[in-house]
Amino acid sequence: MQESGQSAALQDLDLRQAAIDSCFVELDEEYDILLREVCIRAAKSRISSNDTDDRRIIQAVQALDDIDRNSNELSERLLEWYGAYFPELELTGEPLARFVSTFGSRANVPESHPMFVKASMSMGSELSFADEELLRTFALNICSLYDTRRHIESYIVTAMGSLAPNLSDIAGALLGARLISMAGSLQKLASFPSSTVQVIGAHRALFKHLRGNTPPPKHGIIFNNVVIKNAPWWQRGKLARSFASKISLAARTDFYTGKRDPSIRESMDKKLNAIRAANPSPPKRESKPAGKPGSRGKSRNKKGGRR
Amino acid sequence: MPVEELSDGIFRINIDDREMLATKNLVSGISVYGERLIVEEGVEYRQWDPNRSKLGAMVLKNFEIPLHYDSTVLYLGAASGTTVSHVSDILRDGLVYAVEFSPRTMRDLLQLCDQRPNIIPILADANKPQSYTHIVEKVDAIFQDVAQPNQAEIAAVNSKYFLEQHGHLMLSIKSRSIDTVASPKRIFKEEVQKLETGFDVEFEVLQRKELEPFHEDHLGLVARMFVEDEE
Repeated sequence: MQESGQSAALQDLDLRQAAIDSCFVELDEEYDILLREVCIRAAKSRISSNDTDDRRIIQAVQALDDIDRNSNELSERLLEWYGAYFPELELTGEPLARFVSTFGSRANVPESHPMFVKASMSMGSELSFADEELLRTFALNICSLYDTRRHIESYIVTAMGSLAPNLSDIAGALLGARLISMAGSLQKLASFPSSTVQVIGAHRALFKHLRGNTPPPKHGIIFNNVVIKNAPWWQRGKLARSFASKISLAARTDFYTGKRDPSIRESMDKKLNAIRAANPSPPKRESKPAGKPGSRGKSRNKKGGRR
Repeated sequence: MPVEELSDGIFRINIDDREMLATKNLVSGISVYGERLIVEEGVEYRQWDPNRSKLGAMVLKNFEIPLHYDSTVLYLGAASGTTVSHVSDILRDGLVYAVEFSPRTMRDLLQLCDQRPNIIPILADANKPQSYTHIVEKVDAIFQDVAQPNQAEIAAVNSKYFLEQHGHLMLSIKSRSIDTVASPKRIFKEEVQKLETGFDVEFEVLQRKELEPFHEDHLGLVARMFVEDEE
């Protein structure tokens, strides 16, 4: 109601006429030029103000995922490629890249190196100078990807510490950043119910459950925290529920006050310990109904849980 | 004559036995999104790809495009400005208000605005025309290409605020953003009906055609606002 009243008033106000009447501009063309400039500036300033801290963190999280994907792919290529020259070297991933970029040909491995014996007795073919240079550069690039990854990680930890100290405290900086990234912004994460937070990242399993007869997912991406990952299976659902509720609490505190509140952590620890104490041993598994052998196994196969 | 003017500012050029759609480049020498520049008889044209532009497809579908050299146009859903750049070419003495909601695409649009003096960028939600009534004045035509479920409503509300009496509305309706599974034909029918009678402004639909094969499940539509005699 108020909105329409306001808009009617705005619509009645002829800015062009007002500007000319008050001698702010003299000509129609002048008004057009001014209007365009003002609009461009307004849009630009809104765009730059749109680049907030959580957007930067989201970009960093996504860059992390991109780097993981790429470095894995390149590492595999290096393994295949270098394997022809030194198949006995049982290194993969970053250690392999470091090894290749440091030594190149296995003839360069010094006596003091643990790989020396293997290197001198290797069945691999000889590495020509040109190939060696190429492989070393290739490996060096992979190393720098791993370095960048660590750099981004520490950036996220610092940035999260100032944007969302409580969330970092409760969920860990990386998981917190991932939650913000999946929610879209800290504001959105703060406005989610904690049951949503609990299953963020388990969309497939959740919708499968809503559509049919699979059990609901107990946890989405929050599984990656040790609280749940290291818990025995019969505690996980219960822990996930209260863990998610504390994450929500932390995100809300961060978004609306921005101040660190250690009491969230304390109450979480208390709550989680209570759950652990109350469920010390696994419940008895329901025995399979004798009449339908394998029926449960089948439905589990279709389950879209962690995959 | 290899160059034929289809309607104000819109040309068909014959090159190497191929026909292509083009507009006269307002800022010579600059290609906006990688499109081909063609110089014919000393005039530079920019190729207009109907596969990337609903309006371009509408031209090739023989729509009568209600745009003139001196029109003012409200463009809803400007995106990164592919089509807007051609509209800006057509309206060489006119003005286009380009409304776009997403800051990310607005970034690209602003680069375009810096080059072209007849585009006024507005970062706003087309659902809320109240938020730009102080900028936009009465326009001769509205072009709308927004992927929103309430496309018809957006068109009607904006027309009510900004369209000149008997002004034209050019609309591209995307059936998939209304309902992904229902048959496009049925959705188009419903949307056209909504537009004709569903809101407090009425339209007389002049032309409607699907934009196949350039755009799948899109309906192009040109309508004129129908105003009952007011006091």
